[in-house]
Order: sequence, then C-alpha cells, then structure tokens
Amino acid sequence: MENGKVRVCFYPEDRCIEVDKGENVLRAAMKADVHINASCGGEGYCGKCRVIVEKGDVKQKLQVKLSEEEIKRGYVLACSATLESDADIRVPIESQIGDKSALTRRPPIPLKGYTLSAKDWAERLPQWELNPPTTKFHLVLDKPTLEDNLSDAERIKRELSRLAGLKDVVVDFPMLQVLPGLIRAASFDVTVTVLDRGQELRAVRIEKSDTSQGQAAIAVDLGTTTVSTQLVDLQTGKVIAEASDYNGQISFGEDIISRIIYSTRSTGLAKLQSAAVNTIWNLIQQMVEQTNMEYCNITHLCISGNTTMTHLLLGIDPRYIRVDPYIPVAQYFPWIKASNIGIRIASGVYMRCTPGVASYVGGDIVAGVLASGMFNSEKITLYIDIGTNGEMALGNKDWLISCSCSAGPAFEGAGVKHGMRATRGAIEQVRINEVTLEPMIITVGNKRPIGICGSGLIDALAELFLTGILDERGKIKTELSETNPRVRQGDWGGEYVLAWADESGTSRDIVITDPDIDNLMRAKAAIYAGINILLEEVGMTVDMVEEILIAGAFGRYLEIDKAIIIGLLPDVDTERIKFVGNGSLLGSYLMALSKNLIAEADNIANMMTYLELSTNNKFMDQYVSALFLPHTHIDDFPSVKLRLEEARETARLGREAGGEGA
Amino acid sequence: MAFEMPKETSESKIREVTLGTGDVKVGGENILPFYLFEGEMPNRPLIAVEVYDDNPQEWSPVVAEPLKDVLADPVAWAKKAQDEWGADLIALRLKSTDPKGDDKPAEEAAQTAKAVAEAVSIPVIVYGSEDVDKDGDVLKAAAVATEGKNVVLGPANEDNYKTVGAAALGYKQTVAAKTPIDVNLAKQLNILLSNLGVDVGNILVDPTTGALGYGLEYTYSVMERFKIAALRQDDSMTQMPLIADVGVEAWKAKEAKAPAADEPAWGDENKRGVLWEILTASSLLVAGADVVIMRHPDAIKTVRKVIDSLMG
Repeated sequence: MENGKVRVCFYPEDRCIEVDKGENVLRAAMKADVHINASCGGEGYCGKCRVIVEKGDVKQKLQVKLSEEEIKRGYVLACSATLESDADIRVPIESQIGDKSALTRRPPIPLKGYTLSAKDWAERLPQWELNPPTTKFHLVLDKPTLEDNLSDAERIKRELSRLAGLKDVVVDFPMLQVLPGLIRAASFDVTVTVLDRGQELRAVRIEKSDTSQGQAAIAVDLGTTTVSTQLVDLQTGKVIAEASDYNGQISFGEDIISRIIYSTRSTGLAKLQSAAVNTIWNLIQQMVEQTNMEYCNITHLCISGNTTMTHLLLGIDPRYIRVDPYIPVAQYFPWIKASNIGIRIASGVYMRCTPGVASYVGGDIVAGVLASGMFNSEKITLYIDIGTNGEMALGNKDWLISCSCSAGPAFEGAGVKHGMRATRGAIEQVRINEVTLEPMIITVGNKRPIGICGSGLIDALAELFLTGILDERGKIKTELSETNPRVRQGDWGGEYVLAWADESGTSRDIVITDPDIDNLMRAKAAIYAGINILLEEVGMTVDMVEEILIAGAFGRYLEIDKAIIIGLLPDVDTERIKFVGNGSLLGSYLMALSKNLIAEADNIANMMTYLELSTNNKFMDQYVSALFLPHTHIDDFPSVKLRLEEARETARLGREAGGEGA
Repeated sequence: MAFEMPKETSESKIREVTLGTGDVKVGGENILPFYLFEGEMPNRPLIAVEVYDDNPQEWSPVVAEPLKDVLADPVAWAKKAQDEWGADLIALRLKSTDPKGDDKPAEEAAQTAKAVAEAVSIPVIVYGSEDVDKDGDVLKAAAVATEGKNVVLGPANEDNYKTVGAAALGYKQTVAAKTPIDVNLAKQLNILLSNLGVDVGNILVDPTTGALGYGLEYTYSVMERFKIAALRQDDSMTQMPLIADVGVEAWKAKEAKAPAADEPAWGDENKRGVLWEILTASSLLVAGADVVIMRHPDAIKTVRKVIDSLMG
C-alpha cells in the first residue's frame, strides 16, 4: 500500500476504496459512491450520517449528536470522522434509509477529471521560465564627481548596463522627479525596477537601499461575474495568497450586454471602471493582509478578462462591441501604469491586459489557451471556458478557432436562488438516493450549507435528473410532492429541498428551483451548441478531438460524468476530458512570471480565428436541441442513456423492495 | 444503355398510425412526400374536415355561406362533411370551452364529442380550444366520453402533455402533439410523451401551421426537416405522421377574408379565400403533411383532386 493511503470498505455495499490517510469518512463514502444521508454539509450538526466503525482507527472530532451508548458501540458521525488506518465501516439502515443492500449500484467511476497541475507545464509549456517582465536591480552607484559628471539618470543606465547588460533603458518620467533627492538620501545605494515591455526596457521605480529580495506580482482573472486574484512571489514563482469576489459591476447588469448599455449612459463608463477597480483593489488588500508582502513589493499586474471587461477596466468605450459588425477598440493593450486607471498600489506599478481575439473572445480565453499549452500540441484540443460567456477554442499548434456563446452566470452561482461562489458553506457535491430521494451533500469547508456553487449545481442537476425528480425539459415533477416532502411547489414553480432550515447555515431551507434549473439548462445548452457549431465549422466530429480541457470557477473540481449526464459536455471517454481550473487566472499567473509567455499570448491572439455565432443561423437550432436533458438526440449520449436505464431500474427495484417491507 | 433514374431509398419509414376503430391508417411511407418512384406510400394523405361546436359567427360569408345550415349543429356538420364532401376524418374543435369565449364546461363539450364520434363512421380528431389549462380538463372529459372510438386528442403541448397523454393512455386514444414550428421542440415533446408511456405509434405531430403569407415557409421547412430526419437519419422520435392545421390558419389571413369592397385590387373574394386555403394545403402536402385539416367545401374538393393526381 502506498504511503499515506488507507483502504476503507463500506458495508453492506461491500465497496472498497483507497483514500488519503486522514480523509473524512463522508467524503470517502462520496468517492466510493456509497450513499449516507447527510444534510448539514459535514458540520456534524444534523447527526444523520451515523456509521459504525467495525475495524480500524477512525478519529471522531465531534460527538455532539451521539450518546455514550452509541459511541461504545462504535458509532461515529461520518462527516466529522477521519480515517487514520484501513477501516471497515458499516452504514446502518437509518443512515441509508431504504437503500436496500440487495440493490447493486454501479461501481464508482472516476468522479473528477484529471486536473492539470505544475508538473504538466514542463511538458505542455516548454517556453515557460521564471523570468518575469519586471526585475529589481540593486545598484550601488558611483558617486558623481567633476570627472564622472553623468546625470543621475544616465548614471543609473550605466550601472544597469554594467551590472545586467541592459542597454537603452528608458527612465520613466515620474522616476526622474524623485531621482535627485532619493539617490542622495540613499547614498547612491538604490534598487531600480526595470520593466521589459517587449519593445523597450523602462526603469519604472527607484527605492532606497536593497529591496530586490521581496518582489511580487498580481495575477487577475477579471470575469463578468467573478474576479479572482493571486499574489505571486516573483522569486519563487509561488502563489502566496489568493482571493476572489463577485465583480462589483454586477449591480449595473449581469451580462456584458447590459454592462455595455450602462456604459453608454452619462457617467456609466466611469462607474463601471471604478467598480472593477474597487473589486480588484479590495482583493489586493485582502491578499496583502494575509501575507508579509508589502504593497511596495508588488511591481506589476497581469490581467486577463473578456474583451468587454478589459475595455471597461481600461475606461475604453465598449459600445461598438455590441452593434453589428461588433468591433472592439483594440485587440492588444499596452503596458500602462496601474495608477492610470486608479489602482494605486505603489509608484511605478505597471499592468498589462492580455490581448483578445475579437469582441466576444477576449484575453481570458487567450490566457486559458496559453495555460493549457494547446498551442504547443500536435493533439487536436478543445478548450472550453465555462463562465458567464461560454467561450471555447479548438485547434492545435497549427491552427486555432474560437467562438463565444452567452451562457449566463448560472454556473458561477449567480441567477440561482441559493447560488453562491465556491466559498465556505457552499454545497459542492450532491448525491440523491434513487428510492428515498434523500440527499447527501458536502460543502466547502464542511460547514453547514448556506448556498450552492457551480460544481454543486451541476451535481444537483444530474442527480435530480437521474433520480427522476426532473423531467427531460428540466422541470421538477411537482406531483412527487404527494409522496416526498423534499419536492414541493414553491412561489416560482417546483423546488427541491437540499437542506432544511434547521440543518442549514442560514436558518432557511436551501432549495433548487425551476427557474434556477431553467438558467442552468440555458447555460449548458449554449455551451453544448457552441461546441457543436465550432466542430461543424471545421468539419470535425467530437470523436476527432483528442483532448477536451475544461476551465471555469466551479469550486474544487467539476465532476466530469455529471457534466456529461446533463449534456453540458459531449459524451466521450472521460479520460479525454481534463480540468484546467480557472484557465484565465492560470494564464495570468504564468504571464506574471514569464515574459516569454507574454509574447506567446500575443502570438496566440494573432493566430486564432474567430467565429461569430450571433449571425450563425445554425446556432439557434443547436441551442434548442440542447435545451433538453441530456439532449434532444439521446443517441448522441449513449452512456447517459445507459445510466438513466440503470437509475430507473434501481428506483423501480427499490420501490418494490420498499413495498414488500411495508 | 438506357437511363436509369437514381433512387435514394430508405430503410426507415414513418410509423403507420391507426385512426378510429376501422381500417383508416395514416403514415407508413418510406419516401419523401409523393416520391413514388423511390418507394412506398401505402396510405394517401388524409383530409380532415373542421367542425366547430360554438356556432362560429365571425367567419367570412364566403366560407360561412356553404355551411350555414350546419354551423350551429356539429353533428349535422360532421355528417355533411362525411357524406357530401367525402371527408376522410372529422376534426372537431371544442371551441365552446374557451375561457376567453363561451367557457362551457368540459363535460358538456365532451358530450358533443361523443355525439359526433357516434354519428359518423370515419375517425375523429378532437381538438380543445387551445387554452393550455382548460384543454387538460376538456380533453380528459372527451377521452372518457369517446372511450372505444380511438379519437385523436389534441393538441397536447409542452405544458399540458401529462394530462392529455394520461387521458389518451387511460382511454386508449391517439395523441396529436403540437409544438411551435421547431423540429427539436417537436421531437422533445414526442420523447416526453413516450416517457409518459404513450406508445410512439399513437402519436401524430402538429408542428404548427403558418398559412400562405403568414409563415408557410417555416412550416414547410420544419415538415421537410422532420421527414428527412425520420427517413434519412432513422430518428425514431421523428417518425410520426404530420398534421397541417390549414383551414383555421388560411381563413385568418386578411388576404383570404377581406371583402372585395375593401380591397378591390385583390380580385374576386369568392375565389380568393378558397384559393388561399388550397395553396396552403397543397404546399404542405408536398412538404410532408399526412393529414390536412380543412374548412371550405370547394377547397376540400380541389385538394382531394391534387392528392389524387400526386398519388398517380
């Protein structure tokens, strides 16, 4: 047995699985596809997930809901117990209600797709090297004399040339203004920050004495709905802090079209710009406060956003993006001082927005394609960013084509009644028992649920469909409310209760409603339709795609098989699907550390072909056919067809077994 | 060597659906409409004659005149359609139940359906007033009242398919599934109905009809695509016979009903509406309609001749 791994077997299912030592029992059960009723997300509050440890060392953290007698008999709460050794665990009848042991469920299949990580980049991104666009040079200048009477600026340039071989460095104007006083106060012992803008080297900041040791940059994914940031140590290349929040522009409109419309009002553009700037600034503050980095350690920002977000951040009028023939102001954006747009971190901090391809395929996709390494690969790769705009790119090192379809923010938890980002208390995994329709939920941080995030929504949709609570249109079958209290008629149509008020962190029932599901259906249909149109455009079928890379801010991961069940992704071998995480943020991070990749991003933006879907009359047809679970053409989803039949059979057997018992 | 016409043959065919309790069948073809040189069209397209239960008052005199002695009596109307105009089917519309109109109770209308179904020997289509909620009750009552007649109940749509489908299942009737001019939506409703337990062999598809000048080309295209999916792609959820609801749509057109006094340039009003109905019906027959619902006796006679000549 591998070091640090333990083997746990669940009975009566007799389902064994290997997990990391210290893994939570409920999460292990989720992985093994063993149903244990659990409603409070794993906080140990509801006390429903009682299991009996028959063998092995299982450490129980809280015992609030267990009696002395129960503890003696080996009971633990699965959600707050950890596996310290190999173990046998029995799920007693009350924790699996009705799930008859005689029923065999399908063996667990890999739940999460493979997530790309640092070790993949060496292969995927040979261009990457730790060589950031800004570098601090500690310079001990010769003091000027009558013989050596170079100006202060030329003196610095001479030293940079001598020390680092940098030629023709331009000294930034604001630096000149502080130069005479500062270098003398520092006794000519200074640190100069040099920005490599590609076409020129520019000295952008001067500080007293040696500050070259602490240097950091900020990577930003500027999403329509969510903004995610990282504070990156430029010496080690490590991410030392992360923060994310909803984009402050949301209050001016949820999608890019309404933002563009708002920007054309009198002071609209300025308001939108300042909302984005404030969001980024707050996140930077949060990150700096978490670490021992100082604001003055930060020397540059790399920001990737869609074309509209980039325009709005830079205060550039985006109105022509919206009207035929959909023209953005710029595709490439120069390095500018962050203070020019109101991000005042320290003097001489420059920022760069990743170039875009067209009005609806922006720097976020370019950054993602960069991070995925698909532009280096022989393999035909499909890269899909599941955000408010479902953008995707198809191709390999020789060609790239991209398109964008408006998916809406549902997968980011917006436009969903109890939707939220993947933060503490967000339901991130859901299982529903076919027979009892009882849920098993796990939340981020094992806290009582306060809402549901993207991965939880995809899970919930798939489980509601498999268990027959949803019909193929994605409508909750409210007639089930006659036999099951979790299904009911709400104010806005049917709803399913994921957690009751007394188990939730908000003292309200956490529900998923018909309108929520409508939004999710529209989002998944738009993305699936986009995939098909893109493939059709180049005369390919999905079978010809060797690798599908998924990016998006879902939470910890996306369960690939669930995404296929709901028809968000095509029904292909799950081995071919890999998860990139937040591709836009990853690309920003990589560019912040490596100026080679900044140049590479420019190449990608230049080589990518753009396919405009708004004028594509096939899109609507594809969209309507995808507006069904899993799809109008079920034959395109053979594995889902099979799972549906199995789930229906299990439910039928379960009902019969339940009937006999009663 | 003599020229041989290339043939595109298909292994697939449209399901043959039995209407009523006799030997009237619809569908069954393995060819695109009237491509008789490529395969079989075992059943002629059928003409269903419209009968209303609410004594329609607003109709153009051009169409009301030949019906004047039966307008108030659906049973007599149906018999006349059968005996004098040679209707293949009766399409009874229970318009009196419309909540925006007379709002008659479902039960009363169901008795009319029963009386009509018993008075004629040809199969009957029973359409509600196309009010989503009321139709559920009306069609359920009609299903009960006509049990044993195998009528076509409809239209079932996305919002009431459960009620209508269940009524058809429970009382062994056939269902007409109606969706708004879209191939995918039509297919989706078939899937929903079949998941409900309705036999796919008991479903007709009404893809919504646009009359000449009012979206005919959309209906044409949808019907054509539906047939192509059924026959060329062997898509089992599109292999249902198609209904074109011509009469009601053609006679809605201003060009069909405007009096000559108002529009002198448009020509003889006595011919105009009839031609409008004929053109709409014959176009949709060529597009793939297996049943055309029609209104004016002269239009019915002419379209029958069109079908005769197309069937060779």
